[in-house]
Amino acid sequence: MMQARLNGAPAHTSRDGMTMPASNDADRADPDAYLLLRYAQGDAAAARLLTVQLTPRIFGHAYSVLGDGAEAEDVTQDALMRLWKIAPDWRIGEAKVSTWLYRVVANLCTDRLRKRGRGVALEDIAEPADPTESAEARLQRGARQEALQTALDELPDRQRQAVVLRHIDGLANPEIAAILDIGVEAVESLTARGKRALAKRLGGQRDALGYDDDKT
Amino acid sequence: MTKPDTDMLESLFQDARFAPPPMPAGLMDRVLADALAQQPRPSVRRLRGMWQAIGGTPALGGLITATAVGFWIGVAPPSGLPEIAAQIITGDTFATIADDSVIELTAFGWDIEEG
Repeated sequence: MMQARLNGAPAHTSRDGMTMPASNDADRADPDAYLLLRYAQGDAAAARLLTVQLTPRIFGHAYSVLGDGAEAEDVTQDALMRLWKIAPDWRIGEAKVSTWLYRVVANLCTDRLRKRGRGVALEDIAEPADPTESAEARLQRGARQEALQTALDELPDRQRQAVVLRHIDGLANPEIAAILDIGVEAVESLTARGKRALAKRLGGQRDALGYDDDKT
Repeated sequence: MTKPDTDMLESLFQDARFAPPPMPAGLMDRVLADALAQQPRPSVRRLRGMWQAIGGTPALGGLITATAVGFWIGVAPPSGLPEIAAQIITGDTFATIADDSVIELTAFGWDIEEG
C-alpha cells in the first residue's frame, strides 16, 4: 500500500519529508531502497554498501553547490544521519532513496548558503589521483575544475543547484523537479540560464584552460 | 552561447562527473560509524517480524479466545466426548474403544505382531 507521507511528516510541513508519485515496481527500480530495508533489519553489510555508494555522491554534490569542503563534509554527514534515522520507517515504493537524500542535501545547502551569504573562495582543489596522468595534464585538469567551480559559485543558488543536479550528478529533469520542489519547466529554465551564464563566464578563459589546441 | 563554448562547457561537466572532488580523510569512516550506531538491532527486528507473521496485535484476541474455548472443552466437555480431564486427574479409567467396532485397526497387523 502506498502512503502519502514519509517519516510520519507531511511533505509540505517538513523540509526532510517529501511526497513522491508511487510506482508499482519501485523496489526493483530503486536498489538503494532494498539495501535500506536490509539495513533496517540489522544487516551490517547493507550499512557498509549504502555508505560506500552514497557518501561520495552526496559529498560531491554538496561540494559543487557549496564550494567548500568542510561545509560539504558536515552536510554529507548530517544528511546521511537523517537517512539512518528514517530507515526503520522507510516505505519502499514511496520515493527513491537517492531523490529523498538529494532533497535533504539541497535543503541543507540552501540553509547554509542563506546563512553565510554568497561568494566562497576555493582554496583547495585537490589533484586527481590518476597516476598515469602527466603533471601538466593534471595541472590543466585541476585548473579546469577550479574554473568551473568558481563559475558555479557565481551563479544564483537555485540555478547552481539545478545545473549541478542536471549536468554533474546526471539526474533527469523530473527528479530534479522533485528535489527542488519546482516544476519541470522551471528546472529547464534554471538549467538553460545557468548554462548560458557559465558559458559566458568561462568563454573568456578558453586559452588559459587549453581548449584552443586541446579539443578534449 | 556559441558552439565552442557549449563544447567546452560539456567537456568541463564531463571532467567533473568523472573526477569528483576527493573525499576528506575519515569522512567515510565517520558516516559508517553513524550508520552502525543508528542501526536497529537484528534481534528486536526479528522478534517483531515473527510477531507480525502470526498476525500481530489483531490476532491476539483470536488466540486468547481459542485458548479459553480449548480449556473449557477440556474441563466441561460436551456430551459424546470422553471426560479426558477427569480421567487424567483421578486416574480411574481410560477411554477405550470396543475391539469389534474398529476392525480397521487390524489391517495394519498390529494385533498379530503384538500377539
